[in-house]
Amino acid sequence: MSKTMSARVLIQKFQRPLILLVLVVVLTLLQPDAFATVSNFKSIFLAISIYGVMVSGSIFTILLGGIDLAVGAVAALSGACTVLTIIAFNYSDIGVILGILAGLLAGCFVGLMHGVIISKFRVPAFLITVATMNIVYGAAELLTGNQTINIISPASFTFVGGGQLFGIPFPIYIVALMAFLSFIILNMTVFGRQVYATGGNPVAASLSGVPVFRTTCAAYIISGFTAAAAGIVLASMNQQAISKAAQGYENDVLTAIVVGGTSLMGGEGSIQGAIFGALLVGILNNGLRLMGVSSIYHTLVKGIIIIIAVSFDFYSRNRNSGLLRTGRLRLWMARQVAILMKEEKHQP
Amino acid sequence: MRQETIRRLFSLLLLSILIVAFGATSKLFLTLPNIFTLLREASVTGILAVGVTFVIITAGIDLSTGAIVAFVAMVCANIFYYTTLPVWVALAAGLLIGAGAGYLNGLLVTRLHLPDFIATLSTQGIFRGLALIIAIRSSTGSISNKVITNQGFLLLGDRVSVVYLVTIAFFVVALLGQGILKMTPLGTHTYAIGSSRKSADLSGINSDRVKKVAFTISGICSAVGALFLTARMQTAIPELGTGLEFDVIAAVVIGGCAFSGGRGDVFGSVVGALFMAILTNGIYKYNLPAAFHIIIKGCVIIIMVIFDSVYHRRMDDRIRKAGKMLDQAAAAAEAAGGGAGGIS
Amino acid sequence: MNVDDILLRAVDIEKSFSGVKVLKKVGLDIRRGEVHAVMGENGAGKSTLIKVLTGVYPRDEGKIFFNGASVTINSRQDAKDLGIAVIYQELSLIPTLTVAQNILLGQEICRAGILDNGAMKLAIRKLIETYGFSLNPDAIVETLSIAQRQTVEILKALSMQSSLIIMDEPTASLSVKESENLFQTIGALKKRGVSILYISHRLEEVYRLADRLTILRDGERIAVLSQGEINPRDVIRLMIGKELRQSEHAGRMRPSRPEVVLRVRNLSRRGVFSDISFDLHRGEVLGIGGLVGSGRSEILHCLFGSDRPDSGDILFEGKPIRGTVSRNIRSGFGLVPEDRRTQGFIPLLSMKRNIVLTNYDHLVGRRLFISGKSELAMCRDAIQRLDIRPANSEIHAGNLSGGNQQKVVVGKWLMRDLKMLLIDEPTAGIDVGVKEDIYALIGELAEKGVAVILVSSDLPELLRISHRILVMRKGRIFREFSEGSVSQEDVLKAASGIQDREIESNE
Repeated sequence: MSKTMSARVLIQKFQRPLILLVLVVVLTLLQPDAFATVSNFKSIFLAISIYGVMVSGSIFTILLGGIDLAVGAVAALSGACTVLTIIAFNYSDIGVILGILAGLLAGCFVGLMHGVIISKFRVPAFLITVATMNIVYGAAELLTGNQTINIISPASFTFVGGGQLFGIPFPIYIVALMAFLSFIILNMTVFGRQVYATGGNPVAASLSGVPVFRTTCAAYIISGFTAAAAGIVLASMNQQAISKAAQGYENDVLTAIVVGGTSLMGGEGSIQGAIFGALLVGILNNGLRLMGVSSIYHTLVKGIIIIIAVSFDFYSRNRNSGLLRTGRLRLWMARQVAILMKEEKHQP
Repeated sequence: MRQETIRRLFSLLLLSILIVAFGATSKLFLTLPNIFTLLREASVTGILAVGVTFVIITAGIDLSTGAIVAFVAMVCANIFYYTTLPVWVALAAGLLIGAGAGYLNGLLVTRLHLPDFIATLSTQGIFRGLALIIAIRSSTGSISNKVITNQGFLLLGDRVSVVYLVTIAFFVVALLGQGILKMTPLGTHTYAIGSSRKSADLSGINSDRVKKVAFTISGICSAVGALFLTARMQTAIPELGTGLEFDVIAAVVIGGCAFSGGRGDVFGSVVGALFMAILTNGIYKYNLPAAFHIIIKGCVIIIMVIFDSVYHRRMDDRIRKAGKMLDQAAAAAEAAGGGAGGIS
Repeated sequence: MNVDDILLRAVDIEKSFSGVKVLKKVGLDIRRGEVHAVMGENGAGKSTLIKVLTGVYPRDEGKIFFNGASVTINSRQDAKDLGIAVIYQELSLIPTLTVAQNILLGQEICRAGILDNGAMKLAIRKLIETYGFSLNPDAIVETLSIAQRQTVEILKALSMQSSLIIMDEPTASLSVKESENLFQTIGALKKRGVSILYISHRLEEVYRLADRLTILRDGERIAVLSQGEINPRDVIRLMIGKELRQSEHAGRMRPSRPEVVLRVRNLSRRGVFSDISFDLHRGEVLGIGGLVGSGRSEILHCLFGSDRPDSGDILFEGKPIRGTVSRNIRSGFGLVPEDRRTQGFIPLLSMKRNIVLTNYDHLVGRRLFISGKSELAMCRDAIQRLDIRPANSEIHAGNLSGGNQQKVVVGKWLMRDLKMLLIDEPTAGIDVGVKEDIYALIGELAEKGVAVILVSSDLPELLRISHRILVMRKGRIFREFSEGSVSQEDVLKAASGIQDREIESNE
């Protein structure tokens, strides 16, 4: 291999860190005083920590060729569960543990429902999760009585979202842990391999002995779990539970994952990419804010980013491997859109 | 019985159960003023539902309608606040923006090949963002929701004797929508591409064009709904219509449209819109938490999605079995006949 | 023969795909109002010829005359404009619309932009009456049977003033009675001067319907027979080619070992196959022949556990199986499915991950993590044993050539303790060299005692590697060849439903 080739391969391999580096350098040059400070970086990481945690689990569903749009709602629900349990146990430390368990359990339960319905009835994931999004928000609203429930103690709870360990905010450890676990599961366990296989071609996977139903359920449970974890961190960080706590987070999660190169058709992508996506969006947001761009542009910008990322994904692969693409597109459509419901032809 | 008939009866049954239940428990329910109020409640959702019906019949989905409502409303509010242009300019601008927004959705889906839900989820953010950006602000930068004082515009929120204008508009839009669906080639083609895109293409139908038209109609209906809503509220806020898209989708699927496309019609969606309105009304009347409203929306969507899936599988199975059973009986007879022939 | 009688004339049509000539100077004449049949074995070029005539593929060489004028057909629309219609095998109707809406789809009659329902109904009624069909124009298509849907397709073609209707295996999913109705329809069309190009595998239909018959073999026109000249023996001889009748091309059936691995009794799946019973012995290659759609692949799926039979017993090593796919895999089953791309492998995953996918139970066992080293070792082993090229374990399976993809699909089963392998059309679309490799592999496996069931439409292949052959027809086992020498002719006859004595009586 020639030297230029290896250089190109090198660039390709480290494309994502390079993009981040360039972005950081540019922003540092533009805003030398405000951007490149320890406290600003802390705030960037803190800002992405909530949806970073969600991303670590949500990526499983997208790798399967599905999607989980209920993550924001689940976060709200789990926050409410946790806070209410703590209050019920008189702000004791036991209450904190039980509360966190209750929150996580609620998330896993919603995930299980998703997995069972999507897999058993073979219906489009986005429809089901959009519907449960409404239901779960409703449940959270009922739990909180549609009010903000403040919780400023015990310290063991507020530490989760507001504490620091060795000078680093605690939520950052949680993101790191979740992302690491996700990396391990996706890359080093049989389950991870099965997620990729099912997303890549569910029929072939099931004929190769992959338990598609179990894999789907597990993926949605993981997504529910991380969404719940994010909700608990959020509640602790804000020291309150409110049913609108994480509204719209599903868009951030989707943006991060898609920008990170994970295909919505499933079977392709990585947690490293998704975390990169989260960082990129976080730094961009931060940079825009530092440069005085009002936060009212954020929803607009995010919408545009999703459109660009998804269509880029479509076109880049369409060009590279037309044949591969058409086959996969058909597969994906067969699964995602309702064609599946109607032409549920048993294939051989 | 045909699926359409079953579904139509099913949705009418749901509606009448609701009416009977509330009629029996509340004396005020079946009074004329309350009925007209209910119709008004149903109207905005209903107008939007007419448009979304088109999109869902093409096997698509439109999650951006609520955001389009906010954007259009905000544009009108701006026009009235900053200018003294006549009312029709604001109305025309609103409709045009609605149509443009819908067309943009169509373009994203047909040209960029985005899945419908991704495209409209993104544009939901975009339109909501635009509404936020053009919101009228006080000198400190905080949003101030100015009251619209243009009397001509506010007429839209008014009523003719007991009937609210918005209700009349709802029925006009519904009739128009039903007319387009059932009485023009475009309508037939809308059903065709939703039911089987490949077959439609083979019959020489320009699926992309039909899809774009469906989204544009949805955008226009959202704009019409936005105008009436704004006139009634006499102001526009950037959060206007948040979550409205789910009311609309729930109404449409209750009315018999299948997410898998090719089924349902506008009359069904009208029934669905009435259903949702009565439900909401009942929830308030009995002082139930508002949360029940969104919970029921979600449940309705899930149940209908599952219903479709189960129905289709059943149908396919039946056709497979019925079609080939004949075949096998015949093959068996043939084998037997062949044997008999050999003996004789 | 009057020149004016010729509706469509194709001269010296040539077509090649990636250098391989599929059609070699093929000619075709279709007269007005005749039923013209085309026959040939799989791969003889029938479907390519149709696709050239209907503008799906552009032709490389040759000319097409329609109504005496030279025409170019570059798209389906061109063909439609000329009046050439195809009744697609996968029907192209809209299930939720009515018969009338379907027939006039894309050519609705309007008055001032509003549909003129009266005029449309009239047009349809006229059309239905002209040809004497019994069909309700207001019926919803999804409630119709397959045969009725086909009639709708035909009506749709007629409504576009088609003068040539191409039917590709139209009776494939029809019952005998329904086929009978179709034949009557064809008769009615013929009387009205519509020409029909009829492609079928079923000899008996062709004898019955065809005015003339064109036989293709290996992309060449071998013969054009007129009605009086069509007889089973000659047709089969022409389709297969004389040289293949020599004994070396016939398969020798071999006696099987006594040890029964799999016992299938009265297996039925409603609407797909029924009453299937057979034994599979250790080290035996059991071939299943028959036409496409006769229920062969579906049997494999039921045996493998990916489909459920409605009734019947499957005993594996004496014990009934009612397990899931993964349990069956663990007890030594393997499946190489028919459609590689959609069922066989996962295109976006590396060759390594594809091969290892079925073998994690061996590779990981009860441990938590996968060892990358053992994965790689397994993949290397497979690459070596199967000679997969390129020998790069990280390459995406989707980027391999068809033959090597198939090797990957086969390879994932070779890496484990296999007892029964179900193979469906193992060499479809694969080049000759790899074919030989796969045959050798199957032989090797059988030698080692693996029981193999092979489904194949490739007759030489079926005869060559099977120890015993079952021929299926319309969801039932029609014949079994278990001893002596079997020729392609024998299998073909059985698959078309011709008993030996019928042929004799015809002679």
